[in-house]
Amino acid sequence: MISDWSVILLSLRVSLVATALVVPVGLVVAWVLVRKRMPGLFILDLLVSLPLAVTPVVIGYALLSVFGQRSPVGRFLEDTLGVSVAFTWLGAVLASAILAFPLAVRAYMVAISGVDTRLESAARSLGARPLRVFATITLPLAYRGILAGTLLAFVRALSEFGATIMIAGNIPGQTQTIPLAIFSRISAGRDGAALQLVVVAVVLAALSILVHNYLVGRVRTGESAGEARGPR
Amino acid sequence: MSAAPALELALQRAYSGFTLDVSIKCGPGITAIFGPSGSGKTTTLNCVAGLARPTRGRIALGGRVLFSSEEGINLSPERRRIGYVFQDGALFPHLTGRENILYGYRITPPSERRFDPGDLIQLLGIGHVVDRRPGSLSGGEQRRVGIARALATSPNLLLLDEPLAGLDLRMGGVVMSHLRRVRAELGIPMLYVSHDVTSVLALADDAIVLAGGRVTAQGKPSKVALEAVAGMRSEGGVLENVLEGTVADSGGDNRPGRVTVGNAEFVTAPLDATPGSAVSVYVGAAEIILARERPVRMSARNILPGRILEVWSVDGSAYVTVDIGTHVISEVTAAAVGELGLAAGVDVFMVFKSTSIGVVES
Repeated sequence: MISDWSVILLSLRVSLVATALVVPVGLVVAWVLVRKRMPGLFILDLLVSLPLAVTPVVIGYALLSVFGQRSPVGRFLEDTLGVSVAFTWLGAVLASAILAFPLAVRAYMVAISGVDTRLESAARSLGARPLRVFATITLPLAYRGILAGTLLAFVRALSEFGATIMIAGNIPGQTQTIPLAIFSRISAGRDGAALQLVVVAVVLAALSILVHNYLVGRVRTGESAGEARGPR
Repeated sequence: MSAAPALELALQRAYSGFTLDVSIKCGPGITAIFGPSGSGKTTTLNCVAGLARPTRGRIALGGRVLFSSEEGINLSPERRRIGYVFQDGALFPHLTGRENILYGYRITPPSERRFDPGDLIQLLGIGHVVDRRPGSLSGGEQRRVGIARALATSPNLLLLDEPLAGLDLRMGGVVMSHLRRVRAELGIPMLYVSHDVTSVLALADDAIVLAGGRVTAQGKPSKVALEAVAGMRSEGGVLENVLEGTVADSGGDNRPGRVTVGNAEFVTAPLDATPGSAVSVYVGAAEIILARERPVRMSARNILPGRILEVWSVDGSAYVTVDIGTHVISEVTAAAVGELGLAAGVDVFMVFKSTSIGVVES
């Protein structure tokens, strides 16, 4: 019998690692999509958003075809690095990261495009190289939107089910995250045990969304109704 | 100052149906690029700064090639050593004024630093505001912080895009007199973009008129700017004389104020400024009457003798520059030029009311 706590901790660990992967890659991709003008970018834009539109089961199946134990990539990783993705917690991380990625990138794109390009131009003319401009001007001015997008990605990773069960399976103590555990318990007729995790999942999601909405200035207070709080 | 041109550029840039085709040589001092909006002024600055890429051409600063389509050279903005003062300052909102000024200074290699940020803050008179964020600064303070920020990188050229736009007379005057100080004390060549003839006349050593993406005139600001002024009318361009002066007498109690400007003394309304303080004096060119003989029994308090330096006729109007101990421009009708026989070398009297003069402490 796996305790609720170990399920919750595994879920948090998978989601945090997935988010940690999403943030740096997502920032680079969002910056390129917003600030760069080059042919073929629409393909990147499409690829980024595809996981939003395709059913997660398909993503999971694609991951399995690439990283499965019988695929060349999967075998290469197993033989050279001793790492296996399929049916391990790494698979769950990868699945969550891919499904969370579009949400983060879209939020980052909005945040970055909200930064006046003239401020970035000013920094360039003051001698700053592009990376420095990004770190000292773009990032600090867009941090609320970036934080909000990161939170959204984390919540999405936390609730990932379809792709995870395909690539990582549903192994208690190893790949069984909160959604998978809820699924197993209900399938086994243990609705009461499932309910505890349902409450945890809903509370975690609600908290994250509240913080997210505060960050993007969507929370309204009673006395100043109509006026969004927070900058921008 | 060397006689070699500081900035040499010849460039073409085509974008969405508009072709910019300019060829400019700038000496030391302040060169004004003057013209209506949409004439390509800002695009020209952006090409010099490296923020826009010309389709073809060559840009060199002090002999150093910044851009050359022929040689395949295109230095990135951060390697051009050109300061850019943006139209509304474009200050970094998350940093204080001082942090804004230090942003580029810290990046500049110590061996290249010629100006101390503390000196710049003093020169531009912003010591009392630099520890605040830009959002709480007035428009004029923001422009001055922007100028100090650009200068702190010790640039070889300063680009100014409408640094007075949107400021009222007083704030514009303050920024203008600080730009004069920068020119006098730092000796950096400046390229100054404006659609406002007053500031071009007050600041520039040289003027270039852009219209429809082409240089239509280049030369002394008075001639060039006046030639273009007719076209500016539709944009509400009004020609004002902007002069630097010193308060001789504040006046008060039915006594008028007096301001010394060059070798002339203007009678003004009573002033708030104390005697000895530096002021900017504004007189609209259209407010000044010219007379061949000294008028008698006249209510206007300023009747100043002088000699005509230049007469410039544009579209039924004429602009007459007169030396009355300082150079002042009067706008009269072309008919008056003929009737009065106004021409260079002719002695005249300039007549204007004390209440036609704006005095702003600088």
